[in-house]
Amino acid sequence: MYSLKVSYLCKHYSQTLLFKDISFELHPGEVLAITGWNGSGKSTLLRIIAGLVRPTTGKVEMFFKGESIPKESRRRFVGMVAPAFSLYEELTALENLEFFCKVRGIAYDRKSCLAMMERTGLSENAHKLCRNYSSGMKQRLKLAQALLHSPPLLLLDEPGCNLDSKGMKIVENIIAAQRQLGMTVIASNEKREVDYGDRVINLSE
Amino acid sequence: MKSGRWITETGSSTYLSEAVAIWLRDLRGEFRTRYAVNSILMFAVTTLIAVSFSIGSFRIGDDEQPFLYAVLLWIILVFSALSGLSRSFVKEEEAGTMDVLKLSARPQAVFLGKLFFNLTLLGALELIIVPSFILLMNYEIKLPGLFTAMVVSGGIGLGGGTTIVAAMIAQASARGALFSVLSFPLLLPLMITAIKGCEKSAVGTNNPGWPEVRIAVAYSIVMIVMSLFLFPLIWEESMQ
Amino acid sequence: MIAKVLLTIWMTAIIVAAFLYADAAVGFPGETSRILFFHVPQAWVATLSFLLSMIASCIYLARRRVTADNLALSAAELGLLFCLLATASGSIFAKAAWGSFWNWDPRQTSIVILLMIYGAYFALRSAVGDPEKRRVFAAVYSILAFVTVPFLVFVVPRITASLHPEDTMNPAKPGMDPKTLKVFLGSLLAYTGLFIWILRLRLRLLNLEGMQEPEFLVTEKMDLEGEE
Repeated sequence: MYSLKVSYLCKHYSQTLLFKDISFELHPGEVLAITGWNGSGKSTLLRIIAGLVRPTTGKVEMFFKGESIPKESRRRFVGMVAPAFSLYEELTALENLEFFCKVRGIAYDRKSCLAMMERTGLSENAHKLCRNYSSGMKQRLKLAQALLHSPPLLLLDEPGCNLDSKGMKIVENIIAAQRQLGMTVIASNEKREVDYGDRVINLSE
Repeated sequence: MKSGRWITETGSSTYLSEAVAIWLRDLRGEFRTRYAVNSILMFAVTTLIAVSFSIGSFRIGDDEQPFLYAVLLWIILVFSALSGLSRSFVKEEEAGTMDVLKLSARPQAVFLGKLFFNLTLLGALELIIVPSFILLMNYEIKLPGLFTAMVVSGGIGLGGGTTIVAAMIAQASARGALFSVLSFPLLLPLMITAIKGCEKSAVGTNNPGWPEVRIAVAYSIVMIVMSLFLFPLIWEESMQ
Repeated sequence: MIAKVLLTIWMTAIIVAAFLYADAAVGFPGETSRILFFHVPQAWVATLSFLLSMIASCIYLARRRVTADNLALSAAELGLLFCLLATASGSIFAKAAWGSFWNWDPRQTSIVILLMIYGAYFALRSAVGDPEKRRVFAAVYSILAFVTVPFLVFVVPRITASLHPEDTMNPAKPGMDPKTLKVFLGSLLAYTGLFIWILRLRLRLLNLEGMQEPEFLVTEKMDLEGEE
């Protein structure tokens, strides 16, 4: 139903070239892995796809049944996890999810949020303030937040960051489930995470 | 669960309900941290005490009182507001929640939510500062109706004129100083109007139709509508 | 080049004429009315550049061409310059005619607000690192500032009555001496020419500076791609 088309993306930071001529297409059920040395622009590429950063040249398009989705609304079809993202520290985990449901216009129901927390292994800590969360728990909550609206496109920037082996297993399950729902792009240098990809783009080459 | 719940269920949601969600979240966060309230109220109370202590309620003659007290009151209100109204946006940026918010909410909803939050803060500020000012300075007001309308419409104008500026400075450097520098020229017409209106209410000049209140209301509407148009440009993708 | 020479000659002629050809207007102390030939065109150019900067900002927001932003920036810079000149020349007149350099006459109040807006505009530009954002924010701010100006018209004259000699010196009204009118219109033309000349120089400089940055190439390419 949904598809993603990235054509001739190129990104400069002042004088330095980050990457150029990145083109690919992605269809439901596919998982794309992006690797590259630190500073090669993995995170930036994901932020460009999400619509947070403007590419120097080239374009990103998302289609729904062959129709292009306008750039302004593309953001809301994306679920994204990145190390630089944070959730609201002064709210509890459940309140965070409740807020993102409401703000995205999804009818909020406590049950599905709790189910989501169950899925990321946080149900015992649902009423704890995020300020008191460990970094691994925060990462799990970020995963839950990204999945709330069942996004057709899931962007995972280092999804295993700060996670223990149980957490890694959760990421694996999420990616497997996303294969049934839509597209996934993973940016990582961990061999295990890169291996989830059907295809691999190496930005350092 | 199927993909694309967003498309199927978005019908039930409006800009307003999303804005209210943002407003309530900000209020909840504010209630727990008292991040903005502390800075605004302490600033206002400190200035009020300084003014009241150094001038007292007898130093200014009866003829001068209506005008000078209106000036003092609005200086306290405007500068207290400038000390804290940028907090809600700056905090999003500092805490790293701005990007997630950009991904989840529509820009107009964000603007309205933050506007509601700032108006709530201003309401609280006026509710505390205006009565204390009247009591401490022994400010006699002949037309309480006009005075109240002026304070309320002036407060709405303050929020309407500064919320979009707060969104800009949150993404710039040197935030604290910049907010006052950018907001003050925009607020000046409003401030002059509000001073004039409060002076008239103290003297007892009842101009039909309360022109000052109408100017303040028009100012608020113009600034809020312009902000709604311009805000998506400020909220869009960046180069870095 | 020819335009530059012509402008120089014209400007010189106007200055000479302002002091020697036109008569001092009646009702003003001594020769003070001659300030008209300099102060009013300066204020006119300051207003013109404020308007131009706002229009260029709107064009930038609609089209996202760097040249439009360059125009907005250089018009604002020149606006600030002429605003300062008009403030200074106005103060000199105020001292001679009203007895003090500064007395918060409505005209003085509005020019101070204009100066504050310009100051804020440049403060904002220098505080935003991302070049694209800098341009967008500056454009948004200048539109917001422009929107508040009509309110000043309602508000400011009510504070005190103006001493500004508008009726005696307004060229649109028939009261003006024909000689004075000729020199005044000539001066208006000269100042506008001066403004356009400096504006074009500044634009060329900004374009050259822009060419060194990769951004320049970027926008050109982006147009071809039709991304916007």
